Amino acid sequence: MHALDIEGLTKRYPTGVEALRDVSLHIGDGALFGLLGPNGAGKSTLIHCSTGLAVPTAGEIRIFGHDAIDDYTEARTAVGLAPQELNIDFFLTVEETLDFHGGYFGMPKRERRDRAKELLETFSLTEKKDERTRTLSGGMKRRLILARALMHRPRLLILDEPTAGVDVELRLELWHYVQQVNTEGTTILLTTHYLEEAEQLCDHIAFINQGQIVAEGTSGELSARFGVSSLEDAYLELVGRKELSRARVEEIVL
Amino acid sequence: MSAAQIRLATLVRREVSRFMKIKRQTVGAPLLETFLYISVFGAALGTRINTLHGFEYVVFVIPGLIMMAWAINAFSNNSSSILQQKFQRAIDDQLSSPASPTELLLAFTAGGFLRGMLVGILTFIAASFLVDLPVAEPLILIPGLFLTGFFFAQLGVLVGVRAEQFDDVSFAQTFVLQPLIFLGGVFYSATLLPEPFETLTQFNPIYYMISLIRYGFLGYQETNIALSLLFLALVTGALFLFNLKLFRSGNKLRV
Repeated sequence: MHALDIEGLTKRYPTGVEALRDVSLHIGDGALFGLLGPNGAGKSTLIHCSTGLAVPTAGEIRIFGHDAIDDYTEARTAVGLAPQELNIDFFLTVEETLDFHGGYFGMPKRERRDRAKELLETFSLTEKKDERTRTLSGGMKRRLILARALMHRPRLLILDEPTAGVDVELRLELWHYVQQVNTEGTTILLTTHYLEEAEQLCDHIAFINQGQIVAEGTSGELSARFGVSSLEDAYLELVGRKELSRARVEEIVL
Repeated sequence: MSAAQIRLATLVRREVSRFMKIKRQTVGAPLLETFLYISVFGAALGTRINTLHGFEYVVFVIPGLIMMAWAINAFSNNSSSILQQKFQRAIDDQLSSPASPTELLLAFTAGGFLRGMLVGILTFIAASFLVDLPVAEPLILIPGLFLTGFFFAQLGVLVGVRAEQFDDVSFAQTFVLQPLIFLGGVFYSATLLPEPFETLTQFNPIYYMISLIRYGFLGYQETNIALSLLFLALVTGALFLFNLKLFRSGNKLRV
């Protein structure tokens, strides 16, 4: 069974903008899947449709076999979402953020307490547990968002630009957590602008552009398909900016 | 507890926790405001008016003030809580959870309802120290207060969901809700008004709510109580169903 099955997904906003056009995507159980594309390509819309934050115009989404619309309770229980925006409730403390999230997913009190303690330690947030979230630094908010997404032990973890705007140290730390979680059996769908990281981390990658999946495969397969030597060059070919290829830039500079 | 019960309890706890964390603003300020109304109208104006329909003026006014405190707090809690969460997108954590539209709506409703009830009960206790406030018809008063609180909590949810900026909430409260409440007879009896104002008051739905609560406390009847209760129940039920439809469709919540 696939972790995520998307078939013929279309999303048209009331403004008439078609953010997704007949998208089909299948992510295997246990995969670490990268979804890459330029800004406005439809990555976040695809994630929003999969997690109930956007209502699809047409198509079908199944999460571990559960329909994301008709059987949303089961489908959403299986998903953990770490969104691009730092969408933390400023009225809550760090520990409450995790506790409330666990409650929204129906976790009993003792289980919530134990899980929150474990995640606070993992993400080095124990000392901040009683502080209001608005007092946290950007990096700590990012850690908290990842901890919150993991709180209810999701089988599919969706990470939308999880390292956007974080320093190098935290970025490496977050990727370490992501790899560890994936090794433990959690399927991961991530979007990122750091192509070299997607190349290293993801076992399968899809390029999305103008609301459509335009290429899919391993990093090597994608490079071969575009006749280039790296994922970055394949991406630049895709978005029509091959003049920005590092090799070309070096030629010009030399 | 089942997973659904834990979800609902957590969603309600979140709403209560929000207003309790800023209780000076959400409970203290409205309590002081109501207390000032009682002081001004009771001590200052009340000495100039002997009785109104057989009651001391301040006693006549207090039921309406309790109802107004409950109503405005229920409304403003829900409208601002939902709008704030929409702005921060913190609401996405709840919307992407397995919570059903009914659970989400009930939880938001409960937040405002409970804040209104807390302010209403504290106002009643404070007023009881100052004057001898009767409770003549508890069997009308309790459902009347509960339905009124539920109605305004629903109205707050509706405005919070539909609003796109804080100005929308402020407009609804300042230019629609407060004039209707003030002109619904909180501080006077509609029977004392000259025409056409007495007749116009009959078209203000809040007039019937105030009359209902006043009857519950004082036993003084100005409108048909059974019809008022029935009307309030029907309107509240209709508003609940309308809000449920909004939550199910994701209107202004999900993109």
